[in-house]
Amino acid sequence: MSTASAPLKVPVRRGRGGTLARTAESPTLRFIARRLLMAIPVLWGVTLLAFAVVSHLPGNAAQELLGINATPAEIHQLSVKLGVDKPFVTRYLDWLHGIFTGTLGHSLASGQSVTSILGSDLPVTFELLAYALLISLGLAVPIALLSARYPNGIFDRITMVLSMAGLSIANYVLALVLVYFFAVKLNWLPALGWVPPDHGLGQNIKYLTLPAVSIALSLLCFYARLLRADLIEQLQGEDYVTTARAKGVGPWRIILRHALRNSTFGLITVVALNLGTLLGATVVIEDIFGLPGIGHELLSAIGYRDLPVVEGVVLVFGVLVVLSNLLADLLYSALDPRVRYGSAS
Amino acid sequence: MAAPAETTVPGVLEPVGVAAAAASGRAGRLRGAAGIWVPSVLILLIFGLCFVWPLIGPVPSPTGGNILNSNLPSFSPGHLLGTDATGNDEWSRLLYGGRASLEVALAVNAIGISLGGLLGASAAYFAGWRDTVTMRILDVLIAFPSLVLAVAIAERLGPSEVHAIWALSFFSVPAYARVARAATLRVRDRDFIVASRLSGTRPTTALLRHIAPNILPQLVTFACLGIGITIVLEGALSFLGLGIPLPAPSWGNMIAQGQGILSAAPKFTMLPSAALFITVIAFNLLADGLRARWSAQ
Amino acid sequence: MSANGVAPTGSGEQPAGAGQAGVHPDGALLQVTDLRVDFRQAGRVVRAVDGLSYAVPRALTVGLIGESGCGKTVSSRAIMGLLPDTARVTGSIRFEDQELIGLSERKMRAVRGSQIAMVFQDPARSLNPTTRIGPQITEAIHLHADVSKAAAHDRAVELMELVRLPAARERFRSYPHQLSGGMRQRVMIAIALAAQPKLLIADEATTALDVTTQAQIMELLRDLQQRLGMALIMISHDLGLAASFADEVLVMYAGRAVEHAPTRKLFEHVRMPYTRALLDAIPRLENPPHSPLAAVPGQPPDLAHEHVGCPFSPRCTSVTAKCREHAPPFEEQEPHHRWACWHPCGLEKPS
Repeated sequence: MSTASAPLKVPVRRGRGGTLARTAESPTLRFIARRLLMAIPVLWGVTLLAFAVVSHLPGNAAQELLGINATPAEIHQLSVKLGVDKPFVTRYLDWLHGIFTGTLGHSLASGQSVTSILGSDLPVTFELLAYALLISLGLAVPIALLSARYPNGIFDRITMVLSMAGLSIANYVLALVLVYFFAVKLNWLPALGWVPPDHGLGQNIKYLTLPAVSIALSLLCFYARLLRADLIEQLQGEDYVTTARAKGVGPWRIILRHALRNSTFGLITVVALNLGTLLGATVVIEDIFGLPGIGHELLSAIGYRDLPVVEGVVLVFGVLVVLSNLLADLLYSALDPRVRYGSAS
Repeated sequence: MAAPAETTVPGVLEPVGVAAAAASGRAGRLRGAAGIWVPSVLILLIFGLCFVWPLIGPVPSPTGGNILNSNLPSFSPGHLLGTDATGNDEWSRLLYGGRASLEVALAVNAIGISLGGLLGASAAYFAGWRDTVTMRILDVLIAFPSLVLAVAIAERLGPSEVHAIWALSFFSVPAYARVARAATLRVRDRDFIVASRLSGTRPTTALLRHIAPNILPQLVTFACLGIGITIVLEGALSFLGLGIPLPAPSWGNMIAQGQGILSAAPKFTMLPSAALFITVIAFNLLADGLRARWSAQ
Repeated sequence: MSANGVAPTGSGEQPAGAGQAGVHPDGALLQVTDLRVDFRQAGRVVRAVDGLSYAVPRALTVGLIGESGCGKTVSSRAIMGLLPDTARVTGSIRFEDQELIGLSERKMRAVRGSQIAMVFQDPARSLNPTTRIGPQITEAIHLHADVSKAAAHDRAVELMELVRLPAARERFRSYPHQLSGGMRQRVMIAIALAAQPKLLIADEATTALDVTTQAQIMELLRDLQQRLGMALIMISHDLGLAASFADEVLVMYAGRAVEHAPTRKLFEHVRMPYTRALLDAIPRLENPPHSPLAAVPGQPPDLAHEHVGCPFSPRCTSVTAKCREHAPPFEEQEPHHRWACWHPCGLEKPS
């Protein structure tokens, strides 16, 4: 972070230039470009890993598909059809080529193209995750604010204890407990199933509620603790808070208008970083609640030994996580005015 | 605020610096000590029950039960928690299930802390291209949600305890590497490390004798969290049928078993769930206590 | 008032005597009497301020000088009510006939900013890094006056011009990190002046700045103080700075006041050995090159323990047994000149 700077200078545009020239001039755009470039090898690594794990681990795919009673001829025939007799590199390159031309193969079970399967699954997962994020952040922020306002007060102590408990519950355990109480015993919410939004938004949300809460609870506890810690750190340690108090600013305004502002972009960054874990949670939760998202797809494709689908799903997972990490990086820099504006600008 | 990407510990812990009203004075010190001893005792109790008690106490085998004994209620003679649908003693399954889950968790984290710790510390210590390459590779591994890849791996290898350990180590190594690297980076520029490097200490010696003791607190704290996380992940794998295979018990597969009869007999899901919860919270509390103690110094 | 700015002594309202401020008439803007501040820390009690009494007259500058830890900052925070909950404050702080100690937080907030304002040491950290500086100034304006956004905006720019911030109108939308240290400190001053306070406390306001900027800021403060008829408490460890800019100087040590006089009188007739030592420690151009710096030997006392006798006795060159046993009272011993010493400089024959 630069300290001294010359008096305000109006930026002089030397000569004309297209996007590339403008990118080279702006530190922010340079930063974004650099980050994007760094993400590419990671993305490539992700494709390699996805392919390697799914298609190259011990075990003969054709053999497994056909079962124990298959004859060697049948195995060979299927192997050729699957293309698994070709060397690894060839298969990998074929697959990569497929990705760039927009195709991921076809499901062995249904014949449907993998991309269209993913296309219908992803919205479900996204809706679930959006709902979970909404619940967790929507509750975490007020809870953290109240805790930070009266640190070590009654509310704070209770929430610290409860959040520790909330963090320690596995989401599948919570899901079953919720199902037991709310679906079986009280019958307030359905135990499983899925209603697409265009068939009734109310129903759609009803069916998503228990799954979203199962995921949201531990997130809620994590975010609340994180935000509370950050807020308290600001309130107790930062000099600008003292300045504000010396101005005569009241405590709530200090928390909301000053401390929260500074804590928010840190929180958002952590949320973005956590999206990967969030995606992983969908595997179990969608299974328990019978939601047709990509987590569920992964499991059923695995069950059917549907290699192309598994490859595609694992790839999508990996790419989404890389993108969310990239997003986190960018958000952090974008929101921090110190980085955004640099020094004399 | 420090850039979170490399310094945030994924999971429970919020960044250091939050004082629970600066634990000072005798009350604070007592609370600090309790924060470590209480969960430690709980953990020892759990380990004792799962590993030691079955060897010395009257605990029947968790498998191979007599179907005539099936579905006995709790507090039946000889079966403290009753029996399951195939006549296995539930209390025994709980203990042996815990043992399996804990074995996996310990193995995975041991591999993680040794391999991952070494990897991360070396990367940070040597810096340069070694660091960048290692981190890029680790980034790829960390890029996958642990469960997804673990599921894919475990499925390919087939469900078993050992395979579960392999699958989960895939993540614990990069996770520990990242923590070790961040910790080493913080320590690397301290005077005595620089001095030792300038005086020609061999890297291996430097790593083992100088760096390791200084990053150990962070690694150990992370290990407590890691064990909790691994138990939950192993539970998820077993729950999905990809971890420890039935009839051998694991808390995860017991929970799955109980799912089918949730409305009729909730205890089969609730008991292993409670066990899981208590174990995880004990480790989380220990991590919290350790972190508070070590950061106060 | 004259340059020394001291009105005649005692109109009879203030009883003279140990521990009482008696130099100024009731017209004093701020009257601190027997201020004590204790901190409860880790089971111990640290007495940061131990019976401080002084008065600040209107439109004058009082320099509060002392080493780190002598209690100058703590006492000023006590005036503003900005101490943490672990602090216990006793005594009296009267501002324009209102007692500030024990005032409810809400009433205190009305005083802060509008009556008494404060400028802090480190402008880099004292401004919110993610908020533009304009809004940080207008926030102070809106808190104490009911004006429209546009009016507040104009007033803020006015203030920025008042503190001689170049390109004020454009700077309104700048972020703190885009300004230099000196400019940031000017912004802090603008914020402090926003509600036209009667008293400004500058707590080491120039310590973090380089010498040239330091001089500029001090000049600015003095100018503003005279123009606005504001009283100024200037807190510093730099006695030289006080010499140039303060009307009166109060020297503190170990939480107590040890000498207090109008500036010229203090420098011409230093009484307290500690003040003498501080003066001697200032490097002088007249001294031959490589002269050793006359540092004050020893360390300030540990404020967690009760001390018997004069707190400066371990380090004093004129110390006697009496000093170690009885703490000298802080009294007016010459017209307008108070000090606490059994063996003041220049008044005793060396024994």
